[in-house]
This record gives sequence, C-alpha cells and structure tokens, in this order.
Amino acid sequence: MYRDENADIPPDVLRQREAKWLDMLNSWDKWMAKKHKKVKLRCQKGIPPSLRGRAWLYLSGGKVKKEQNQGKFQELDSQPGDPKWLDVIEKDLHRQFPFHEMFVARGGHGQQDLFRVLKAYTLHRPEEGYCQAQAPIAAVLLMHMPAEDAFWGLVQICEKYLPGYYSAGLEAIQLDGEILFALLKRVSPVAHRHLKKYKIDPILYMTEWFMCAFSRTLPWASVLRVWDMFFCEGVKIIFRVGLVLLKCMLGSQEKLKACQGQYETMELLRSIEPQYMQEAFLVQEVSSTHTLMSLLPPLQLFISYYFTCLST
Amino acid sequence: MSGGAELGFTEHLFKVLVIGDHKVGKTSFVKRYVKNQFYEELKTTIGVDFSMKVIDWDSHTRVRLQLWDIAGQERLRGLNRVFFKRSSGALVVYDMTNGSTLDGALNWKHELDSQVMLKNGRPIPAVLLANKCDETKVCRRNASLLEKLCQEKGFIGWFQTSAKENINVDEAAKFLVKHILQNNEESVKEEEQNMQINLKQQSKSNSTCC
Repeated sequence: MYRDENADIPPDVLRQREAKWLDMLNSWDKWMAKKHKKVKLRCQKGIPPSLRGRAWLYLSGGKVKKEQNQGKFQELDSQPGDPKWLDVIEKDLHRQFPFHEMFVARGGHGQQDLFRVLKAYTLHRPEEGYCQAQAPIAAVLLMHMPAEDAFWGLVQICEKYLPGYYSAGLEAIQLDGEILFALLKRVSPVAHRHLKKYKIDPILYMTEWFMCAFSRTLPWASVLRVWDMFFCEGVKIIFRVGLVLLKCMLGSQEKLKACQGQYETMELLRSIEPQYMQEAFLVQEVSSTHTLMSLLPPLQLFISYYFTCLST
Repeated sequence: MSGGAELGFTEHLFKVLVIGDHKVGKTSFVKRYVKNQFYEELKTTIGVDFSMKVIDWDSHTRVRLQLWDIAGQERLRGLNRVFFKRSSGALVVYDMTNGSTLDGALNWKHELDSQVMLKNGRPIPAVLLANKCDETKVCRRNASLLEKLCQEKGFIGWFQTSAKENINVDEAAKFLVKHILQNNEESVKEEEQNMQINLKQQSKSNSTCC
C-alpha cells in the first residue's frame, strides 16, 4: 500500500538522481537563486526517496525557519498545552493512516510524534489551535522526517502554502473552491456545466482534496510525486491535480450519462478511476495544464474582492 | 423529493444528515446501518461522506436514503451551510460515555433548525441518538431527562444505540423515515389543497372577468 514509486526506476538512474540532489542540497541557495527552473524540473521527475524528507524541508523553507528559531520546538514540546486541543488531537491520533507501519500501534512512536507536532502547533499559534485536516498533513511529513522538522514543515504548509485553510470560519477553503470551479470552466466546460446543473458546491468534493493536499485521495506513489511538486511550486499544483481529476471523470458526455444526479456525481468523484490517479499519468497531465494557471492570481484577487463585497 | 408513481409504486429520495460532535460514532453508525459492519479504526471525516441505503418500505413504496455523514469538529462547521441544504431529516448523535457531547448534540440541533426547515416552516424531523450504549447504561433518571430534552428541543424521539453491537440502529433509522414519509404525505396534500384553492380563485376571477 505504501510502496514507493521509485521501485520501477533502474538503480543506476536512481543513484544518478541522488547524486544530483545531493549536489543541489549542498549548495541550495545558489540553486534556488540561479537555477530554479532546473529544480522545478527535478521535482517533477520525483525526488529520490532517500532524500525526500530533506528536500521537502529545504523547498518549503522549513529549514530556514528551524534555523532562525533554534530551540523553539523543544520549548513548545516541553509545555503541557491547552487541554481543549489535546483532547481533540488525542482522539485523532489512531485515525491517521492506520495501516501505515508507523502509525499502526496505539501509543507507538509514530502516534507519539504526531501528538507532539500537532500540540506544538497549537502552542505556536494558540489563536489557530488545531484543525482535524492538519493531522494527515503532519503524518505524511513524519513519515519522512523527525518531529522537529515535521513541525516546521507543518508551519510552512499552514502559513505559506495553504494560509487560512485550517482557520476558524474556513473562508480560505471556500474561496479556493470557487476559484477551482471558475478555472474548471476553462479546462472542461462540460464538467463545469454538469456540476452547475446539479448544484454541486465545490465544498462537496474538494474539501478533503485540498485540506489534506490529496494525501487521503491518491495512491501513495502519486501522493509523494504530487507533494514533490507542491513543495516546489505551491498551491497551484493542488489546483491542477483537482482540475485534472474533474476533467478526467466528468469531461465527456459519455461519462456523464452514468451520473445524472447530485448523489451519483459525488459518488463518482469519490471513486476516481485508478488510471487517472496513476503517478505517471497524473504528473504528465499536471505538468501540461500549467499555461492556464496564469489565470490563478487574477482570479484569486477577483474572487476575494467579490467575497469582501458580500461580507460588508 | 419523491419520485414519480408508476402502477401505484412510489420511489422516494430523501437526504438525511448524520450530525453530532467529533468522535461520537457517526461514521460507525452509518457503516453499520448501510453495510452491517463495524470497524474499530476509521479515518476521521474531513468534509462529508455519503452513503445510500435503499429500503423497500412496503409493497408499493421504496425509499432511497442518502446519508450525509458530516465532519464533527467545531472547526469544520463553517461548511455546514452547504451540507444542510435540502435535507429531509437528521440523526443527531452523541456519545453516552461523554456527557459534553450531549450539549454538543443540542447545539447541532439548534444549528440545524436555524438553517433548514420544511416547506410549512416547521423543523425537519430529527432523532436524538445516545450512541455507544454498549459501554454504559441509561438509568431511569437519564431516560426521563432525554425524554424532556426531546420535547424541549423538538426532537421527534430518542434511541439508545450501539453501532458496535448493532443495537437499535435499524429501529432508529426506521423511526425517522416513518416521520419523513408522513411529512412528505402532508406536504403533498397541502400542495394539492393549495393548488385547488388557486384553481378555484382562478376560475372565480375568470368568471368575473367574462
């Protein structure tokens, strides 16, 4: 189930990639400043598993944050935490990737670290506290790095990559739902019309996709490849994956014949055909829908302006 | 939300919400009801999960029940507005071993009533479920308290249930469906009456006009 995608890559190619990545990591600032395109391309090809955790931390800026705040995690870790949050976090510990060897044992190391990371975040941002969708994010990070690094990775995701997604009110996720829907009109008018016809609010299908960055939706190998790109290019990768899936599942009249209705459509979107989620296909599709994403910033501005008008 | 009648056979489609605090057993309840299975370890629900249960109510009625199992965490409630739309009934769940979740259930009921109602303005039928009854017992005092709460807060009834031991799961759902069907019949009748009144008014106005 959690088989790595690189199993199919010949060992010498993998070793070459590892050497390239080691070289990049060792002179990271130079690479990011001067050869960002190359870094992006290498992230699209997939980060070698042995270096993935380190690369994610570098890409996200979590490494810098950690260095700027030395001792911070230890300090938060030693505090008791607000019982209001601890109670919710504790109930969720055994409900993250329960079949992964790291999280399988109640009270095992994986669950203990998950608790520490999530608790530290509620102390770091007491006004934000804990949102259940943060747990799978933290769990995926913990599969690749020690607790302190995972904490800074989580901080970066919550504050830089998906700001506001986990905050009270959940406006940010609703806003991005509207944006996804607006983009879909360009990518697949057929799918867009269908969702509109049956009044299927984006919240009904994209909440888990976006809040958990597809970690609970895609097969494991694809999760890792999507996250490699996500850490490099940001939230637009999440949008692109969403658009590709919607287009593949609802993009032709033929497909829509079988799902005439709100419930039928939502059922279909919850059981996405494996071929569309397969890593090679998905990465290919995601990297080729990029031209459209130039629309993302103006749309975000427009829709957030629209929302502000609504609320005032 | 009812389908067309064919040879006296009616098929209804109802949307039922399954709501209540975090970790009271909403998803377990739905899994037991729909698949007759119980899972010790379930993923937390983020957003909403859907299931369908088809009930052959009697020889000429079929009910298709869409169950909307909604994330319980306080934080995720910002999305309820979307989930509650056009629902016909609700199962409001609390965990008998955790008293604060009963207050939670009452909050959920309140939120439900403020967001959806029947065409005639009355609240949609909601059943209060005291879940995990395999782990504790309802004493007489509790029972009368729940009875009183139901009347005060407008639940149509309450059941103690256990998704784990399969206690009262079908019964509670059946009870809700019965009420939804009754409401449905009443609203159909009301509509027919309204239509007749409209027709009468129309013919009146027509006659005066001629």
